[in-house]
Amino acid sequence: MNTFAAFDLKVSIGAESLFKIGGFSVTNALLCGILGSIIAIWVLVYTALSIKRGRYNRFVGLVQWVFEGLLKQINDIIPDKKLASKIAPLALTAFFVVMFNYWLSVLPGLESIKINGVPILRSLTADLNFTLALALITVVTVQIYAVKYLGVFGNIGRYIRNPLKNPVGAFEGALEIIGEFSRGLALALRLFGNAFAGEILLIVIGLLASYAASVVLPFFMIFELFIGFIQAYVFFVLILIFTSLAVSHESGHGEAPA
Amino acid sequence: MIHSLTQLAAADTQSGSVFTVLGIDWQMLVLQIIAFLLLVAILGKWVYPWLMKSVDERQENIDAAVNAAAEAQKSASDGEARIQALLDEARAEAADIVATAKDESTAAISAAELKAKKRAEQIVMDAKDDIAKEIVTAKKALHDETLQLVALATGKVVGKVMDSKLDDSIIRETVKDAKI
Repeated sequence: MNTFAAFDLKVSIGAESLFKIGGFSVTNALLCGILGSIIAIWVLVYTALSIKRGRYNRFVGLVQWVFEGLLKQINDIIPDKKLASKIAPLALTAFFVVMFNYWLSVLPGLESIKINGVPILRSLTADLNFTLALALITVVTVQIYAVKYLGVFGNIGRYIRNPLKNPVGAFEGALEIIGEFSRGLALALRLFGNAFAGEILLIVIGLLASYAASVVLPFFMIFELFIGFIQAYVFFVLILIFTSLAVSHESGHGEAPA
Repeated sequence: MIHSLTQLAAADTQSGSVFTVLGIDWQMLVLQIIAFLLLVAILGKWVYPWLMKSVDERQENIDAAVNAAAEAQKSASDGEARIQALLDEARAEAADIVATAKDESTAAISAAELKAKKRAEQIVMDAKDDIAKEIVTAKKALHDETLQLVALATGKVVGKVMDSKLDDSIIRETVKDAKI
């Protein structure tokens, strides 16, 4: 245990403030998030423009291939084409933004480049503000579509039922309310936990490997890139599944993943 | 590590600071929600339609290619069937031609054989006629020669040389005697 103490390893759960603009605190995660979002936008805009101009290359083909796969997944999970096309921008943006921001966590200088003792690099996905924001947007969007498809009372009926007429259904409704909160919380914490643990893993491996870090770290970085893709994909699929479950609730009660 | 682990425990003792320790800043949270929704709206309005259009076009191209391949396969099968039918027809025609040729050749051979037989018979008959004529000629020559020899022999017997003049006179006398 003293080994880590000897390294003077200081890990902050929350993103740390680098500077303030008019009372608003700019954190290291926000800085990285802006960079990650710019990369995501650039990749998508570049691909769209290249396709529009008919200039194809391997990179455009790769992005188009991924995009096509994601669209197919959307259409597979949500059979209603109209709803699928409405939820697609949110799910696709979540996928690309989460993936590129997660991948930024493997940038060199993660713990070493500091301003006033605060590391300037921290993945946006390792900031609970961002993951919570994404989870809130997902939960609210799912509720909006549930109201649109089931109606206000239909949607309320998913949660509140007459315990005298249908005690099991009333209990199920209560569980459904808990489930909605737990799903949102699980969405936020899963992504945050993975990204945060990944960053700590890289820092610890870097410290433990010492001079051999340049040999050992790339393997863990590749692993982190893979995990980043998986986490983005999981987030993407969960948005679709929650939406699909919410709008198809009238036909039955499916088991929702956490 | 110990520091981070103790952060939460320490925060628990201070009211309302759990969110602070977790780094949750409501101002930042709202800002990130707005920023993300803006990003979704911008990408959904100007970027994704192009990508979706390209995917649709690609899918249409793939479908068109699949249809074209199916049509090509069908036409190839039709062509193969047509070729097979033509081949069958050609084979049947060839078989007919061969059969006809066989019949014709058999007929020609038979006709030739018949002609040759007739010709041979004709040759044989001609040869027989020639032989018969030659026999007649030979017989006549022999007869004449015999007559000459008889005349010679008679001449020698009667002591006169029998010539045609004498011979004629003898014949005339003989004929005269016979008439009397």
